[in-house]
This record gives sequence, C-alpha cells and structure tokens, in this order.
Amino acid sequence: MAAATAEKSTKERLLSVLDDLEVLSRELIEMLALSRNQKVPQPGEDTQILELLVQRDKEFQELMEVAQQQGKIHQEMQLLEKEVEKRDNDIQQLQKQLKEAEHILATAVYQAKEKLASIEKAKKGSVSSEEIIKYAHRISASNAVCAPLNWVPGDPRRPYPTDLEMRSGILGHMANLPSNGVNGHLPGDALAAGRLPDILTPHYPWQSSDVSAGMLPPHHGNDFNLEPPGHNKENEDDVEAMSTDSSSSSSDSD
Amino acid sequence: MAVAQANLEKETEDCSLLPLVHDIIKCMDKDSPDVNQELTKLKTKIQEAREQISNMSGIDCSPVEQQQQLATLREQVRTKNQLLQKYKGLCMFDVPKAS
Repeated sequence: MAAATAEKSTKERLLSVLDDLEVLSRELIEMLALSRNQKVPQPGEDTQILELLVQRDKEFQELMEVAQQQGKIHQEMQLLEKEVEKRDNDIQQLQKQLKEAEHILATAVYQAKEKLASIEKAKKGSVSSEEIIKYAHRISASNAVCAPLNWVPGDPRRPYPTDLEMRSGILGHMANLPSNGVNGHLPGDALAAGRLPDILTPHYPWQSSDVSAGMLPPHHGNDFNLEPPGHNKENEDDVEAMSTDSSSSSSDSD
Repeated sequence: MAVAQANLEKETEDCSLLPLVHDIIKCMDKDSPDVNQELTKLKTKIQEAREQISNMSGIDCSPVEQQQQLATLREQVRTKNQLLQKYKGLCMFDVPKAS
C-alpha cells in the first residue's frame, strides 16, 4: 500500500499536466469552432473547460518552479557525491595502511614469540661453561684441531688414532691381533710390541722427560672416549699431560 | 536576489500556454487566416515543453524524496569526515630515533 501511495516524481506530474493542457486546449478550440459553425451557444460547457484549463496551467507553472528548485538541489547533491567519493578513497587508503601495519606487527609478534620459546628451550638445556671448556679441552688435547707446537715432519703423531694406538686400545686387545711389530711405517710400532730394546728406540725432538716411562708415545686412546664431562680423573690426567704446551688456560679438573 | 526572482517569474510566465490559447480564440473570433499559424505555435510550444521536461535533471524523484537523499548525503559526508579525523588524530607510538 505504501508503494501505491508513493509520490509521483516531478517529471511524471509535469508530463501529466502538460497532456491535460493539450487535451483541454484542443477541446476548447474544437468546441468554440463547433459553436461558431452551428451558431448554437453551448450551455456553459466551454466555461467549465476554460476553468479547468486555467487551473491546469497554474498547476503547470507551479510544477515548473518546483522542478527548477529541484534542479539546483540536484547540483548541490552532485557536489556532495563527489565529496563522498573523495572521502571513500581516503578511507580506503587508510584501511590499506592499517592492514599493512597490522601485518607487520603480527609478523614481529610471531617472531618475538618464537625467540622467547627458543630462549626458554635454551635455558632448560643449559650447560655449564666450565664443562664446555673441559670438553673442548679434551677434544683439542688429542691434537686433532691443531698440530702440536713442536711437531716436525717425521713425527709419528697424527690427528687420528694411529695403528699403534688402536692396537694398544681396548679394541686391539679384544681382537687379540697378532702383533708382528712392523705393521705400520713407523719404527715406533715395534716399541709398542715391546720388541726393541731401549737402546734402539728412536729419539725424536718432541720427546721430553715428561713422557711416560718406556718412551712410548703418549697413550691417549681414552681421550677419544666422549664420556660425560667431569667424571674421569684418569682422562683428565692425560689431558693435563698432553696439554702442557697448550696455550689455553684450562681450569682445574676438580 | 530581486533580479533572480524577476527572472524566475519571467521563466514561469514563458511556460504558460494560456496566452497562446487566447491568441487562437481571438483569431477565431476575427476569422483571421492566422488561426492555423497560432495552432501550430501552440503545438510547437507544447512539444518544446515536453523536451525541456525530459532534459531537466533532478526531477526523477519527488521533492520529498530528494530532500531525504540530500539529508542522507550530508550525513554521509559528516560521518566520513568524522571517521577520518578520528583516525588521523589517534595517538601515535613514540618511536625512538635510531642514533
């Protein structure tokens, strides 16, 4: 019902009134022409039509005034629409910037959380610095990371376990390998078998009085046993013996 | 303002068809041969009025509806200006300058 009683637009009303004006003026002219031809006076019908014509004409003029006012308002509305469009663009721009800022902040927060989790994890698995230093000392004591200062070509020492050292270790004893003496290329191998007398032992520049009895190369087969730090005093003694020339200041074992 | 009012009255009087109808009736009374000419003028005037109405902008709705649309547009502009001012006036974080 509301739709049915909706106001007609000004355009529709103007066109409707104009059609009425056209019909009424035509009726009036035809009536006057007919009455003149027939010379019969009409009983006031022409007056009625004339009155309607005047009324419609007045209505038409009023509607034209309204239409002109609406035209001016329409211009103002167009300006407002342009302003609304401009504001919409500004808001969209602002929205884009806020979205970008949110993305950056979300990334930063996520990375910060990851870092905090890493810190917590590291704290749980923390290792004493002394133990790390001892461990590093043991690794480096076997001269695997750096040659000894007094190493010269011909020195049988190697950064890896030599045949002699393997045979004198636990595996070598377990295998119970026949030791013929000269398996390696070094005369020192014969010493390990205990075959050569002392007088025939080769003397090397690196040998010092601190080397253990029997003039054997220092036995550090156990040094490669990566056991938990700080619990094997024997290994620590070996480490101490080997690291006399080390420049690192190792801490006391106990 | 008085000039604009006078122009408006002239324009409204120009769109009246009564003078032309009066001229036609006068010619008919005088049995003047200009009756057909006056009739043609009336027809032309009516046709021009129809074309003028079709070309006029802003009359596709009633005055009441137009006022509502105008109020809506003004409200939109006001609201959006307010929104932009609000976000532009938000306190910004104090970012320490990198030394």
